[in-house]
Amino acid sequence: MAYITLDGVSKQYGSVWAVDRVTMAIEKHEFVSLLGPSGSGKTTLLRIIAGLETPTQGRVLIDGEDVTHLPPHRRGVAMVFQEFLLFPHRTVYENLAFPLRMLKLPKGEIEERVEWVLGILALRGLEKRYPNQLSGGQQQRVALGRGLVGRPKVLLLDEPLANLDRELRQEMEVEIRKHQTALGIPFIYVTHNQEEALSMSDRIAVVRGGRIEDFAARTDIYDRPKTAFIAQFVGRSNRFEGLAAAAGDTTTLRGEGIVIEAPHHPGLPAGSRAAAYVKNEKIRLKPATPGDAPAANALAATIRHVILRGAYAEYVLGWAGGEIVASRPRSEAEFSAGTDVVAFWDKSDVDLFSATGEP
Amino acid sequence: MKARLAPALFLGLPTAFLVALFVLPLLSMLVLSVWRTESYHIIREFNLGNYHVLATEGAYMTFLVRSLVMASVVSLICTALAWPIAYAIILYGGRYRLLLTLGFAVPFLTGEVLRIIALQGLLGPIGLLNGVLMALGAAPLRVIMYTNVASAIGLVYLYLPIVVTVIYLSLLNFDQRLIDAAKIFGASPARAFIEVTWPLNLFGTLIGFALCFIPCLSATLAPRFLGGPNGTLYGMAMAQQFGESGTWALGAAMGVVLFAVSVLLVVIVARLVDLRRTGFTGFGRG
Repeated sequence: MAYITLDGVSKQYGSVWAVDRVTMAIEKHEFVSLLGPSGSGKTTLLRIIAGLETPTQGRVLIDGEDVTHLPPHRRGVAMVFQEFLLFPHRTVYENLAFPLRMLKLPKGEIEERVEWVLGILALRGLEKRYPNQLSGGQQQRVALGRGLVGRPKVLLLDEPLANLDRELRQEMEVEIRKHQTALGIPFIYVTHNQEEALSMSDRIAVVRGGRIEDFAARTDIYDRPKTAFIAQFVGRSNRFEGLAAAAGDTTTLRGEGIVIEAPHHPGLPAGSRAAAYVKNEKIRLKPATPGDAPAANALAATIRHVILRGAYAEYVLGWAGGEIVASRPRSEAEFSAGTDVVAFWDKSDVDLFSATGEP
Repeated sequence: MKARLAPALFLGLPTAFLVALFVLPLLSMLVLSVWRTESYHIIREFNLGNYHVLATEGAYMTFLVRSLVMASVVSLICTALAWPIAYAIILYGGRYRLLLTLGFAVPFLTGEVLRIIALQGLLGPIGLLNGVLMALGAAPLRVIMYTNVASAIGLVYLYLPIVVTVIYLSLLNFDQRLIDAAKIFGASPARAFIEVTWPLNLFGTLIGFALCFIPCLSATLAPRFLGGPNGTLYGMAMAQQFGESGTWALGAAMGVVLFAVSVLLVVIVARLVDLRRTGFTGFGRG
């Protein structure tokens, strides 16, 4: 039995199903991200686990106990909010002691635990400050500390890093994961930022339209997207369209001015519309030479812009069918704008999906 | 230079306005209170006779104590009623919130005298309430006929809209999600109210309380029309000095005492309440 189970959970607002028959199981030591665009229902799902929303249908189980109708204060969960939601009339110390006071722990133990959290989150010296006297990063640490101090059964994090700047965010990503590993409790992390989800999670649930599109290990989500939506949403990809044709272990997609070969896809009847996704970093470049014959999984292009990203460069390429982006490490040969190149990729790096039914 | 002009204007004009129309009259009251009046003439002669009268004649002390009790009771009732009303508007008002709050101000569209007289018609011996009771063969409710209870009902009716509005505004400013945070961290709904909602709205509640308490202290109309023979309140007695009895200097001294009592109460409350603990963040960082 999994540590946390969602069993056919749905939530209806008016005529809209914000969460639609979600079933998932989370293990005790897992870091799970709910990744999805805004309005996908991921926050509602988190609030259902927290007990701040009651599901219209379905059950929520935490540590073997059915908590579906238990109010939040009796679930033993904790949460870190996007807007921090520290108590503005309480000092840092009092904010951290709050969950412990609610647990009615003896004074000595409260002091001990708050000390522990102040230590692991590098908050010593700020105990007497009020939240409005702290920087954004410090407020975030207090919010995280308040989440950890009561040793909850599960920590729920609702886009906790969205309000921090990039550098601080990356620092906190490492730190959050570190604490999760040390405490050995599940973290459920809601975000629309794929980088955050990829950097911290064991498994990622991609949420779309209130449903779980896929729930799998982060490498699977990234390397082997199960749906076109995931291919588009996770990582940065180039999309090609055409008609499918199968032959042996290869499915071939013929589009305008391009032939793409991909591993066999059983769900694509010959002649059906299909879309191929190739991640930016999977596209390689070589200088064009006169007499290049057209080949599968390759196209002739001209470099339009070069965007420097530090360790790697992004090449915006113009070709007969529009624009694609290739990102290459700086250690490779560099090209300058205006150069004619051949962009090519491996058959195994192509993700193919049916495009029938798409507008 | 230009940058200095704007704040000077913004702060200077209201200051000048306040000095001219508030501080100066107050000072003139202070001066008048140490003069005396004799058969409708002011005699400019320093003496503390007025204060001596106020301290020694029992009636004035009775009026003052009665007024303090009345103002306390009325303000407590108003606050106790206003909280659930304002909270309900916030929770269930939806897009009619503003309309509902404004609805409370409808009685203000008529004059205060009119409202009190209407209430007199409702509570009096031949009023609607007792009229119905007597028509049904029951005894009339004496407790609401020209008594301090009637005065209190009138004052609650007069000032409830103000208290509701102030507490409503306080709750509107209050981030309801902090209640969610408290619940997540183990507080029951009642505990969340005590730990978060109440302290973070205490400042607004005190302002609402004060905006009821202070006018109640100097109320004149409600006791006059509803209070009956034993219902004289301090403010009413004070108004009489400036009217029928023509003892303006004594009235001025009563005004000074009232002002001093009000200031004293505000100071006590300010000393008791730590603004920080009400989430007041006007101190800035540091």
